[in-house]
Amino acid sequence: MHTSQAFAARYEIVHATTYFYTEPVALCHNEVHLMPRTTARQSCLAHSLEVAPTNGEIDEATDYFGNRVSFFRVSEPHVEFSVTARGRVGLSSARAIEPKATPPWEQVLESLRAPGEPAAFEAVQFVYDSPLVVVDEELAAYAASSFPCGRPWLEAILDLTRRIHREFVYDPAATNVSTPLSTVMELRRGVCQDFAHLQIGCLRSLGLAARYVSGYLLTSPPPGQPRLIGADASHAWLSAWCPGLGWVDFDPTNDVMPNLEHITVAWGRDYDDVCPIKGVFVGGGEHSMRVSVDVQLIENGKAGH
Amino acid sequence: MTDIATPKPTRASLFQGYRPLPGVYDEMFASDGTLRPHWKEFTHLVDAVGSLELGRRWEQAGRIIQENGVTYNAHGDPEGRERRWELDALPLVMRADEWSRLSDGLVQRARLLNAVLADIYGPQHLVREGLLNGQFVFGHPGFLRACHGLGVPRGCYLHWSAAHLARSPEGSWWVVADRTQTPVGAGYALENRIVISRMLPHVFHHCRVQRLAGFFISLRETLGALAADRRDGSRTVLLSPGPTSPTYFEDSYLSRYLGYTLVEGEDLTVRDNRAYLKTLGGLINVDVILRRVRDRHCDPLELDGSASGGPACLVHAGRRGNVHLANALGSGILETPAFMAFLPAICRRLLGQELLLPSVPTWWCGELSSLTYVLAHLEELVVRPALGDRATNLVHCASLTAAERAELAARIKARPEQFIAQEVVVRSTAPVWSDGALRPGHVGLRTFAAAAGNSYRVMPGALAHVSTSSPEMSGESMFVGHGSKDVWVLSEGPVAPVTLLQPPGTQVAPRRSGHDLPSRVADNLFWLGRHVERAEAASRLLRSVFARLISESSPGGSPELPLLVRALVSHWSNPADALATLDESGVSESLALDCLFDQSQNGSLQGILAALSRAAFIVRDRISLDSWRILNRIDDEFHPGYPLGVVSLSDVLPILNQVILNLSAFSGVATENMTRGPGWQFLDLGRRIERSLAIIDLLHGTVIEASLHEHNVLDALLEIADSSMTYRNRYATNLQAGPVLDLLLIDETNPQSIGFQLAALSHHVEHMPRQQSDPLLSAEQRLMISLLSSLRLAEGNALAEFDDGGVRSSLDKLLSQLAGQLRELARGISHKYLVHAGPVHQMADILPG
Repeated sequence: MHTSQAFAARYEIVHATTYFYTEPVALCHNEVHLMPRTTARQSCLAHSLEVAPTNGEIDEATDYFGNRVSFFRVSEPHVEFSVTARGRVGLSSARAIEPKATPPWEQVLESLRAPGEPAAFEAVQFVYDSPLVVVDEELAAYAASSFPCGRPWLEAILDLTRRIHREFVYDPAATNVSTPLSTVMELRRGVCQDFAHLQIGCLRSLGLAARYVSGYLLTSPPPGQPRLIGADASHAWLSAWCPGLGWVDFDPTNDVMPNLEHITVAWGRDYDDVCPIKGVFVGGGEHSMRVSVDVQLIENGKAGH
Repeated sequence: MTDIATPKPTRASLFQGYRPLPGVYDEMFASDGTLRPHWKEFTHLVDAVGSLELGRRWEQAGRIIQENGVTYNAHGDPEGRERRWELDALPLVMRADEWSRLSDGLVQRARLLNAVLADIYGPQHLVREGLLNGQFVFGHPGFLRACHGLGVPRGCYLHWSAAHLARSPEGSWWVVADRTQTPVGAGYALENRIVISRMLPHVFHHCRVQRLAGFFISLRETLGALAADRRDGSRTVLLSPGPTSPTYFEDSYLSRYLGYTLVEGEDLTVRDNRAYLKTLGGLINVDVILRRVRDRHCDPLELDGSASGGPACLVHAGRRGNVHLANALGSGILETPAFMAFLPAICRRLLGQELLLPSVPTWWCGELSSLTYVLAHLEELVVRPALGDRATNLVHCASLTAAERAELAARIKARPEQFIAQEVVVRSTAPVWSDGALRPGHVGLRTFAAAAGNSYRVMPGALAHVSTSSPEMSGESMFVGHGSKDVWVLSEGPVAPVTLLQPPGTQVAPRRSGHDLPSRVADNLFWLGRHVERAEAASRLLRSVFARLISESSPGGSPELPLLVRALVSHWSNPADALATLDESGVSESLALDCLFDQSQNGSLQGILAALSRAAFIVRDRISLDSWRILNRIDDEFHPGYPLGVVSLSDVLPILNQVILNLSAFSGVATENMTRGPGWQFLDLGRRIERSLAIIDLLHGTVIEASLHEHNVLDALLEIADSSMTYRNRYATNLQAGPVLDLLLIDETNPQSIGFQLAALSHHVEHMPRQQSDPLLSAEQRLMISLLSSLRLAEGNALAEFDDGGVRSSLDKLLSQLAGQLRELARGISHKYLVHAGPVHQMADILPG
């Protein structure tokens, strides 16, 4: 078992989503991104998916970005539908990077222009517009002041992260999943998903590679540390690419570089690629939903039951 | 007589007066004015037919096109206003050797495009090696990540494709556009061929024209190979976007010609990673889909969530190898003109060959040398967005002012990678026959290739499109504002007859219409039946109303009139205002006209007929040509020209009579000409249920409460139910409620009675498709027994009796019971056999709350 492995932290995750309908839904097809990825410093130790009601099997596949995705359908009439994902992950600490030691951002741009190198080829996938992040002049103008000529790549991105955190207000009432970036820019308000999209758009406006990361935050921080914003639901941040360093994470909602409190589930170009629960259904009348996410640290002695 | 004045046809050639445009390549005449040799035999033979005879035959051909319903719905108009298909009487004749070279180029191009798709949806060498900028794959909205690595049998992504060709002024052919996802036009080309070869059989035969059928045989074999490991009972379907699609005619035409079931997205469902067709008899496995639906619209789950051109989860069923789509999903990416800039180098890399057939010169401004060229030659070029796949945002630089051009150049310089430029395409001309004379028309070709083994087979012929106004072509729609021509590719040797039809003498096993009718079609026919009957009931009631309004025969007026109008108005979507008016000031002329023409009310005759017309449009390939014509006529005669307020009362009766006559004609044609399969069954079920409900409503609204004018009311009822004559034969002039109720309710020999409808319904219910031999009675059968016995146990005179409150309470009770059970029957049938379709919702749109 993995439990003997030395992780800096291990977590139990319960992500429960329930949909309520006033009229029966006759048929519903789903595609979900709920299984945490295994990455260089994260291992998905266990995972289960519970669907109620259910028909047939849950079919698993790997998507274009390497995320694990599950497909299932409900073909009996239902007025309530719930999906519960449970998982256990182990995390290692992120290495510290000295911002000034990173190459000038223009040099990163150059290496993206010649995608012959396999790592750069993966990164090139993330420099273009995507359904929810369409670069415009406003984004380019906002990004520009963080990227003067020759500034080290990491220093510039950290500056941009800080500015977004300072100049935008976290406000769940201001936006929803379909709010366009231009509205977020105008209101200077939004949630984690908006801020991630915003910073991705800024980086792509310069030609840099940035991808969207969906995941979870630790529900209650260790004693003495502040509780991060976005811990009671799915969280989102971004990752940017630099040759030599690979992908480095940034969380503009909390102005931090994710380390041991961010659990990665999936990544893609934007939210649309990694939406936790995608589904189409017929019928249903009025509908509503409830989500809860609980992420608990597994204490060292109690682990591995 | 004018005939005497008509000059005899002269011996002069029809083609003598034709004057090609100066400086433009003409397909028929060389620049020195001589006839190109390969046209010689054709012109000779056509001259032998003669201008007058040609005109006569052409008129006939035009009627065939009209009657076959060949249409192109230019703007995807949901109301279904369609353009008639425009065909020119003279084909475009092509030399065998020239065609053979062209054909080699087209085969290579189809192989190349297939190889590009295999690379993009596979190892992506082209981007890694810099032959294709990443933007054209990873930045392309048409690159479907869900379809990457899906794997297709025999590496075939492109089962068929189309190319638009134009002849450059130097006389060589260019490809102007590629169509790689749902190539359209092959069916129109075939229909053109059928019309023209029938019109000029002798000419066609002697010119030794290559046949088109071989192409379709290849396509069918290719799709047949996809189903090689087919399970028993699986089938191939043609997936159409439906009647609102511009090319719906071709969808249904091809499905019949190729022998595939015509389906729409709602007909299909995915269960356990397999695709199924929903039919009356249950689910039928579908393993091959010839799709006419664009890439993104094929799966609302993994592709575009707002579209339902295909069933949810179709991509995943494909991922599991259980269903194959032709063409493969994601093939639309190659329709972007920008790819043409890179094809020569890609062809060397992927096929190890030089590109045989050039594309129209294309430059991607993201390359410095191209940018320099484009900026220097801007006024000669067409500029478009690099990732666009349609003609939108296309800029003809020649038509710009100097200032506009400078502004465009600045935009290109700012984001060069976002623009491409192409040379302006000037097409060649060919003679177009109109009113007995020939005029030069600009022609472009749409050619077709179908996979055959490891290569492709090109249709020896094409759809030529013709425009007499514009010489330019920019690769957009072949159809809007254009006419078409048949294309005759001459053969060097004798032509072997090929046909998709069985050779004569082959024994064909007799078949009956079975229960594999798609549920959606049954549903549509059911509703068509209901709408027809609803229209007829409303028309009859309206006729009685207007007859009373304009009648001067009864000095006491028509006291039953308000009751009749109330019965009409009660079906409106919001009757409150009209009912209030009725109570206050009785039946006014304008209120009566509202019942006819008020477009804001679904229940007005205009509203009902509009609904009928929509219902008919949806099922028009399931009803006979005659039925379709009749319904068209109702729409034509009633719809236009009767705006509110213009019509006087005296105009109304003839209009209503005509509508009733047409509706009766439709019913007659349906009764006499439809095979008694499930299609007819559901049409008739709809009609019977609706007619029963109409009579119940009418009786309910008029005879439940005691009235001083009962005599007038009964008289009107008999008139509306077209039963006056029967009543008089039986009872002379002794008008009483009991016998009237007997005739309209209980008498199963009167085709207008409820009893008659119930007996017919009972027959249908007994013969509904049943999945197993269930020994128990179905819920519908039980309902029918209850309905029929309640009615058979009833007795007219007893129903006519009033209770102490002056109400016919037992009649009231019976009618309510019948209406309730009939509605339950309709619901039950709909639930059991028909589609539970509705708008598809996205869970992502549900917000926490």
